[in-house]
Amino acid sequence: MKLLSLARRWETVLAAVLAIVLGTAAWLDPAFMALSTQLELSTHAVELLIVALPMTFVILSGGIDLSVGSSLALAAVIFGLSYEAGAPVWAASVLGVLTGSLCGIVNGAFIAGARVHPLIVTLATLAAYRGLAEGISLGRPISGFPDRFLAIGEGSVGGVPYSLLIAVAAVLAFALTSTRTVFGRRVYAIGSNEIAARYAGVPIARMKLWLYGIAGTVAGLAGIIHVARRNTAKADVLPQVELDVITAVVLGGTSIFGGRGSVVGTVLGVLVIHEVREFVGWRWQRDELILVVVGSILIVSVLAHNLVARRAR
Amino acid sequence: MTTRLRTLATNRLLLLGGLLAIVFLGVSVAHPGYASAQNIRDLLVQCAPVVIIGCAMTLVILTGEIDVSVGSMMGLLAAGIGILSSPERLGLPAGVVVAAVVAGGILLGGVNGMLVVAGRVPSIIVTLGMMTVLRGVTEILMGGEWITDLPASVRYLGTGEPLGLPLSIWTAMAAVVATVVVARKTPLGLHIYATGGNSTAAAMARVHVGVVRVTVFAIAGLMTAVATLVSVPQQSVIESGIGVGFELLVITAVVVGGTSISGGYGGVAGTVLAALLLANIRPALLYLDLGDRATFWERAIQGAFILAAVLSDRCRWFRRADGKAVTITTGGSP
Repeated sequence: MKLLSLARRWETVLAAVLAIVLGTAAWLDPAFMALSTQLELSTHAVELLIVALPMTFVILSGGIDLSVGSSLALAAVIFGLSYEAGAPVWAASVLGVLTGSLCGIVNGAFIAGARVHPLIVTLATLAAYRGLAEGISLGRPISGFPDRFLAIGEGSVGGVPYSLLIAVAAVLAFALTSTRTVFGRRVYAIGSNEIAARYAGVPIARMKLWLYGIAGTVAGLAGIIHVARRNTAKADVLPQVELDVITAVVLGGTSIFGGRGSVVGTVLGVLVIHEVREFVGWRWQRDELILVVVGSILIVSVLAHNLVARRAR
Repeated sequence: MTTRLRTLATNRLLLLGGLLAIVFLGVSVAHPGYASAQNIRDLLVQCAPVVIIGCAMTLVILTGEIDVSVGSMMGLLAAGIGILSSPERLGLPAGVVVAAVVAGGILLGGVNGMLVVAGRVPSIIVTLGMMTVLRGVTEILMGGEWITDLPASVRYLGTGEPLGLPLSIWTAMAAVVATVVVARKTPLGLHIYATGGNSTAAAMARVHVGVVRVTVFAIAGLMTAVATLVSVPQQSVIESGIGVGFELLVITAVVVGGTSISGGYGGVAGTVLAALLLANIRPALLYLDLGDRATFWERAIQGAFILAAVLSDRCRWFRRADGKAVTITTGGSP
């Protein structure tokens, strides 16, 4: 019986999908599955993964944040410009991450304070933050960062990239927060039934401010990591990454209406998308195929999820 | 209650109309060329596809759904126009091309609707997935190439000017009139508002909410096809990047226009005014001669407009101390 309920869990289904993808890849092209290759490719998914973690919290709470990609770009541009203006690289990094925090807090203030629908607020800031990044930098790429900073993106210890270590630490932090803390329980409570949560004494407005603030902060961090990986800060980095992030979270089994889902699911969702994308790119070098496959996985998986959920009832 | 809602609606229209007048007259005073017939025509041509798809998007959002796949749909239908009509590819006559593109649009929209209704997948997810899939299919079909040899009969759809006005402007006006009539004067319009207002209540009142939803998605597909037909042949080149990001522009127009994102409240008039307002940003920046770098601020200004529209609702709230009306206009969370 326990086995049966385990089989009905979405995470199990995803793990099976991931195993099939990896198995197929190993069968078609063993070189792709070599540990060194996998570790090298893993850096491509770092930004997607770490931004997907706070997005999981936001969606679990019944909200959405379309502006993460734009916050990320603004953080990258602020980082680049302040480094160019003579700030030490650590100070510029802190400034970049704080820019992300500020972006998130502004979102949170509109959503929690003015009680405007998150889709509208973040649709506005999706345009506004990206626009600010374009306006401030005039679309100009900034590069020439010191090697010691670029090591964050390119360096590794014992073959494991630093950025992957950061991502793993972030995964652990978010996974533990979601299951072992009051904060985590409150996120689920708000998403399941906001009015009930309010009557149960959950400080809704403060929680939302935190959730969007964290989303912005992590987006800022991802922006810095992205610059370290590419050695370029530019306003148009990672266009439409917010859609990839939301796709990964939803594929991970988090309900778009909130209240149901898990960080583990999101990690699996990111891994499925990452491995499919990298393998299709590796073997066929055709980006357009990746789009079709990832989009289909999203729709089909949620369709399948509905079927599984309905039968479980 | 109805009067209050109507006051709010008129306020939003007044606000948008006022802003539009200020921007337009302000730039015209600084630079008289802005008010020239040629420039006004260019503005309207540029804004026509946003208005045409915006009409349908208003209906979709009124129903409480959303469609973020229209930009990719536009890309795929544009590729369809090229592949079907180009003499080097299939070389079909213009009439067949138009019929095929319109049918294709309705079909794609209908698939979205069926997945939402029959598959019970939330529309944001269905259309997000479709957005990616359709863009991928477009790139596969185009194979990284450009189609530059559109026949004259197809180019006419974009460049033709019956009775002195470009076809796209005529089409946009027809789309607005048709949508207003459907929304206000037909049972379908009533059912759309009812479904968006409270779908359970609507279902109990024997509204076929599923049929209504599939219909609005099909209309979105149809309007996207129409917009593609009259806008894409304006240029002589078809490539796979057509329509990227267009969905956000359209949704922005609908939201700035005052339609509630949770459905049931709003209308086409606001969408049209908002689309006109948004279409003015870039040309105004160019005309004001703030330097050729000024256009980099376009998106920031767009975002500021949405936030300003949202804030205007809050100011009204403080004046009226009427939380309910605000919840309806901005679709605030409960």
